[in-house]
Amino acid sequence: MQHLGEVLARRKAAGEASLLVYAMAGSVPEERFLSVVDALSEAGVTGVEIGFPFSDPMAEGPVIQRAASEALRGGYHWADLQRLLRACAERLPCAVMTYLNPIVQRGEARAVEEIAAAGGSALILPDLPVEALRPFREARRVHRVDTVLLASPATQEDRLATLVRKSEGFLYLVSRFGTTGLGGGDTPSTRGREGDLAPLLQRAHAIRPKLPVLVGFGVRTEDDVLRHRRAGADGVIVGSAVQALLSDGRPVAEVVERVRPLVEALHAPLLPA
Amino acid sequence: MPEWYGPYGGAYVPETLVPALRELEVAWRSSRRDRAFRSELERLSHDWGGRPTPLYFAENLTREVGGAEIYLKREDLLHGGAHKFNNALGQGLLAKRLGKARLIAETGAGQHGVATAMVGAKLALPTEVYMGAVDMGRQRANVQRMRLLGAQVRSVEHGARTLKEAINEAFRDWITNVQTTYYLLGSAVGPHPFPSMVCDFQSVIGREILRQSRARWGAPPDLALACVGGGSNAIGTFHPLLRTSTKLLGVEAGGSGGPTAVGSASLTRGRPGVLQGMRTYLLQDAEGQVLETDSISAGLDYAGVGPEHAFLKDSGRVEYTAATDTEALSAFHALARTEGILPALEPCHAIAEAIRRAREMPKDARIVVTLSGRGDKDLEVVGAHAAPR
Repeated sequence: MQHLGEVLARRKAAGEASLLVYAMAGSVPEERFLSVVDALSEAGVTGVEIGFPFSDPMAEGPVIQRAASEALRGGYHWADLQRLLRACAERLPCAVMTYLNPIVQRGEARAVEEIAAAGGSALILPDLPVEALRPFREARRVHRVDTVLLASPATQEDRLATLVRKSEGFLYLVSRFGTTGLGGGDTPSTRGREGDLAPLLQRAHAIRPKLPVLVGFGVRTEDDVLRHRRAGADGVIVGSAVQALLSDGRPVAEVVERVRPLVEALHAPLLPA
Repeated sequence: MPEWYGPYGGAYVPETLVPALRELEVAWRSSRRDRAFRSELERLSHDWGGRPTPLYFAENLTREVGGAEIYLKREDLLHGGAHKFNNALGQGLLAKRLGKARLIAETGAGQHGVATAMVGAKLALPTEVYMGAVDMGRQRANVQRMRLLGAQVRSVEHGARTLKEAINEAFRDWITNVQTTYYLLGSAVGPHPFPSMVCDFQSVIGREILRQSRARWGAPPDLALACVGGGSNAIGTFHPLLRTSTKLLGVEAGGSGGPTAVGSASLTRGRPGVLQGMRTYLLQDAEGQVLETDSISAGLDYAGVGPEHAFLKDSGRVEYTAATDTEALSAFHALARTEGILPALEPCHAIAEAIRRAREMPKDARIVVTLSGRGDKDLEVVGAHAAPR
């Protein structure tokens, strides 16, 4: 079982960019979920972020919101996640992404211990402020589960420095003002604008040169991957673009066809834009 | 201005909102000390809003109940028909000061949406209000009011399609448009600084109660009650009374009242968790999924509660209880019949409890209930239930 943070750091040191794929647990049957993970692994994806559904996902756009309510309607539970995680972690390095409340109700220490026991190596909580990191740091020393912090184009300089220093495994840089995915693009809550990421990435690398920084939110095309790499990202995270296919019941092959060009864009030589 | 109320409160938000919340806190800290800001707020509250609101002795109701004297703090007489005006005006002026070009708000019963739409019109700020589809159905008059005041009402179609979902959607809009938009949150909930800022703006209720009761009978009331959804009229009532000897009682919505129904009573039936930026009492299942709530009053139909109430409950300074839909409805009819007042269904929960308590208290004791809004918006809902005989 590979540790996500270690794999990302190794790839960064070797000058290789990384690609994580996000998918919501419980939004499709477990068997299908695992065959997708198998195919993604084959296609050269670096790791998987498994979403655990929360009733009130504040940072999500329509695609992942719908996937979460589907999963909850189907009665998805923490025990199901542990089983899925165990199977996924045999295939690819895995992170769990959810919101703070399910973790708090489980108990931070216990939740982290259970993620570690199932083979997960990172936890991503978009509503966890760096000020509330303490219970997770202690759990990390014991169980080696990284707590990944998020930064955004709105993040100011002093705050970015704190986030870069305290994030574990990698830094998740949100690409845009907005929620996950690109939504319909026509309502005020989805019409986000991409931030100028290059200065943020530069600063992050200067503060902690070995920490991988991955860009996510709204990543869907090869151009997105190339643009973020040119800006200095060590990798990208694709979520809604893949989840939309899963939720629509598209065949595994189609999911892979969607992701393959993005993997290729990881290795493509970077020409000036 | 506290960020924490014991273990409750905080600011559990996506990173994109952190700078905006800081900016807001700084602006509010300087505004509340700024004479020009305060006198503008006071002038508009007085001339445009109708403050101060009366403290009204409900003599007929008192006689019928046959116990302690019941007084009503008439926030229903405020411009727009509810206490929501106090906060919407204050934050609207703050938005203007911050140079924001657009207001967004969530609304449950529509009272906060109406107040924000009024303020948006007055201050020439384009306004969009998120409202659950279920609430739009049961509070049609307020949807119409918002539209006539020039606001756009955006229907929220997911989850239980009530207040909690409207708040989620407003936050998503704010995350997306944070550079140009002011989120005018309507209750004493959400991430810091909203709970303490909203409490500040609503505390005018309790300050007036204190002044009026001292002028009238030379002492604070023996008991003060308010209904609690998010808890803004309640915290505004309680806060200035915390240091007096007044007994304080918050009344949540017990919903349909069945043995397994949670209603919307997060303090009396929930446990602590993290939702919508704050740590507070929540109605949730064993794994931390937030439950769907039920209440006859859209304004109380919320699974969380302001973090200061969570603290006041634990500390024992304020007692919290719940009244059912049926109890609220009979309080509605009692007030209509005895006093010629049609109250909103939200404060009817507090009136129901006040009637119960008045019976157990001596006749020379004085109870103040905050009548947080008027009932025009609820005529359809009340009409759908038979009046008790």
